[in-house]
Amino acid sequence: MSQPVNSAEPAEPARATVNYLNHDRGVWSWLTTIDHKRIGIMYLVSVLLAFLIGGIFAMAVRIELLTPDPTIMGANTYNRMFTLHGVVMIFLFMIPAIPGVFGNFMLPLMLGAKDVAFPKLNLLSIYLYWTGAILAVSGMIMGGADTGWTFYAPYSTSTPETLFPVLLGVFILGFSSIVTGLNFIVTIHTLRAPGMGWMRLPLFVWGIYATSIIQVLATPVIGLTVGLFDATRGGDPVLFQHMFWFYSHPAVYIMVLPSMAVVSEAIAAFSRKNIFGYKMIAYSSLGIAFVGFFAWGHHMFVSGQSTFENGAFAVISMFVGVFTAIKVFNWVGTLYRGSIVVSTPLIYICGFLFFIVFGGMTGIAVATVSLDVHWHDTYFVVAHFHFIMVGAVIMAFLIALHYWFPKMFGRMYHEGWGMVAAGFIVLGFNATFIPQFLLGNAGMPRRYYMYPERFQALNVASTAGASLLAIGFVIILIYLTFALVRGKRAVDNPWDSRGYEWLSASPPPKHNFAEQPIITQDAHSYQNPGEEVEHVVI
Amino acid sequence: MSSSDHAHHHAPGPGEPTLAHHFDTQDQQNQAVRLGMWLFLGTEVLLFAGLFLGYTVYRNFYHEAFHEASRHLSLFLGTTNTIVLITSSLTVALALWAVQQGKNKLAAALLVFTILCAFGFLGIKSLEYAEKFREGALPGKWYHFSEITAPGANLYYTIYFLMTGLHAFHVIVGMCVLIWVLKGVVKGRFSPKNDVAVELGALYWHLVDLVWIFLFPLLYLI
Amino acid sequence: MANETKSESAHGEKGHGGHGIGKYIAVWVALLCFTGLTVYTGHEDLGAINLPLAVTIATIKATLVVLFFMHMIDTPTANRIVFVVSIVFAIVLIIGVFGDLWTRNEMTLPSAAPSTLGPEIQVSGPGESPVPVHHE
Repeated sequence: MSQPVNSAEPAEPARATVNYLNHDRGVWSWLTTIDHKRIGIMYLVSVLLAFLIGGIFAMAVRIELLTPDPTIMGANTYNRMFTLHGVVMIFLFMIPAIPGVFGNFMLPLMLGAKDVAFPKLNLLSIYLYWTGAILAVSGMIMGGADTGWTFYAPYSTSTPETLFPVLLGVFILGFSSIVTGLNFIVTIHTLRAPGMGWMRLPLFVWGIYATSIIQVLATPVIGLTVGLFDATRGGDPVLFQHMFWFYSHPAVYIMVLPSMAVVSEAIAAFSRKNIFGYKMIAYSSLGIAFVGFFAWGHHMFVSGQSTFENGAFAVISMFVGVFTAIKVFNWVGTLYRGSIVVSTPLIYICGFLFFIVFGGMTGIAVATVSLDVHWHDTYFVVAHFHFIMVGAVIMAFLIALHYWFPKMFGRMYHEGWGMVAAGFIVLGFNATFIPQFLLGNAGMPRRYYMYPERFQALNVASTAGASLLAIGFVIILIYLTFALVRGKRAVDNPWDSRGYEWLSASPPPKHNFAEQPIITQDAHSYQNPGEEVEHVVI
Repeated sequence: MSSSDHAHHHAPGPGEPTLAHHFDTQDQQNQAVRLGMWLFLGTEVLLFAGLFLGYTVYRNFYHEAFHEASRHLSLFLGTTNTIVLITSSLTVALALWAVQQGKNKLAAALLVFTILCAFGFLGIKSLEYAEKFREGALPGKWYHFSEITAPGANLYYTIYFLMTGLHAFHVIVGMCVLIWVLKGVVKGRFSPKNDVAVELGALYWHLVDLVWIFLFPLLYLI
Repeated sequence: MANETKSESAHGEKGHGGHGIGKYIAVWVALLCFTGLTVYTGHEDLGAINLPLAVTIATIKATLVVLFFMHMIDTPTANRIVFVVSIVFAIVLIIGVFGDLWTRNEMTLPSAAPSTLGPEIQVSGPGESPVPVHHE
């Protein structure tokens, strides 16, 4: 008979009990696992490796841009560097990271389920990821793709041979994304614990749900953007852009929605307060997903698209700002009068809030056609999307990594080093990308190998900032690895969070829960009269 | 011991469904796989949608070439293929009905007929492809069909081969799925209590038919 | 178990297999008739109506297949929403692109698109370079 297990109880620090990590041993048991937690860990290792590769190419680009003239590489190599950086970061990290790692790990736990709906399909998704990743990266290294990650015709149609393995790799990665999204949607619909209606879903689940809808609907379209766009044979390059961006714009919401979902979870935990405006945040997630499908043309303002559509896409794009603003307001409302726990995740949360507001506002700015005509293909746009992709998404990834570190590994990281690294990251980020806004506004184009003298100071500043960022990431890598093997053992719920995933042990056993949980309270519910919870310190 | 534990512990008899460890009831599992299948069909719709977009856009630009080229396709073969697929859709729907009635022998016969229809479709398609190769009516840079000189004809054939090729690929996959279903029906694994797999296989086959229902008029008729 | 499962099992008990095969045969006959209709009208030159008419007939055929062969008429709402939404977004894609094409200035349309204003560029054949053609 299942007991209501919704209240957190003081527990002893987990000893070396049998959990999902040590339940079965050997590489083969990992490669053939259908346990969503193990798949999540494999995704973690994979996306971190991808992030490292993408980061190396980013540093290569930034070092080259230290001087207005050639610095360390030739022009063609430079084109290949930023293509590699873009393709690896977007397709191998940004899109799969939070859903693949934390969606996989946390979703069933948050729903009170034993696994996702289709565990074998889940395993297939990571094999698709590895296949696509290897194809794409090796294709770029050997073939030398130099089109930028957007592969625009007509340049891309004049070098088809070298692009084929890359395109095939991206195609296969798309399937990994679709399969993951499909799995999550069915899981959320069918595997919720008794008592968990839709309005009791954790906000992380809402975010993953909206993301999965986009993954399933948008990704297939990019599967067939081949063969039709050679202008010398009557093809239309602008049609390529339409089809490309019909996926790629919703794709950026695949990146951002999970990160917002993470923040919703963590901000309630670190304010020790009920989330402000649960319903509005949930509906805004769906709103962003919906509006995101109708906005793709804002990437094409200067492509020859009609003025009418330029205007239409501009106006529609601004609605995304409305939903994002609702969320920001609610997050700040959660922090307000909360009992703030100063910790590494909180620093990243503050960074996230600042960067998403700033990045989002510059998004509204570039959505304005009359302004974007000047900013298009300059560093202003580059800075805008890095503010969201790095400032919001990667901050959120780090929040998730730190917040759920004890859940996944049963150990705590060193808070002091965590905060040091957070300082490097937040400051380094500002130093990298704020100069890029100024550069873009002053007219420096993106993807340019050489630039006028007068832009050098800002470029040097940006590279210096990138170095700080890199140092921050290295510090994180070091202390987290250390924590994995020698970190203090954590209790089951060290943050005293009210997320449902904390009802299971940390790390969880292979089948997640000893007994089927029954949900009797709302999600993120910190303030409930009559419920006394002891704050447990190890 | 709760009833859900019981369902997991005894081995399924003939014609009884297997319950995966993470589902509590058979109903829950059935609901999940059905939803999963419909989601998958949704992704297939969007996969073809991109190609349909390419077709409509280029038809808009190169109206004359598209019109001429569609006259060069064999209307007879195309119509035959349409009838073949529609009939196969009927027989696979009837096969599912037969399994639900417990009439596995009838279901097997209907499935065999469906699979033969699939073979027939592919056979006719390869006849058409062979003719295209002979004529030189090939996609993109390989195009050298002298009979149509209007600009954009090569794009027509690019789209023709992409769409019918992708569709044919789905016919082959559908065939393999139906063969697997046939095996299960013959062995008695599928029954009125365990018919979801047959249902899903039939759904996939219907999608193949649906795509062709749109492909046929757009490519062969107008 | 999730809330939706309850309604699904209530549904499932009554729907399946309770009816005969007559419905399927009737749908099949209808599909064949519509096929005949579209073959006939498709080959007549009806000008601008050809495409919308063909698409309309195809849509009717597809609806019959989806509702009756695929049993969407008695399948849970979630499944219906999924399929309908995917079709809606496919249409959004097509309308979005055509919205661009139909509202552009003549000069930005690709080669060989019919234009009665200004010089036309005609692609003479594969591999040849475009040649400007002037209309008087």
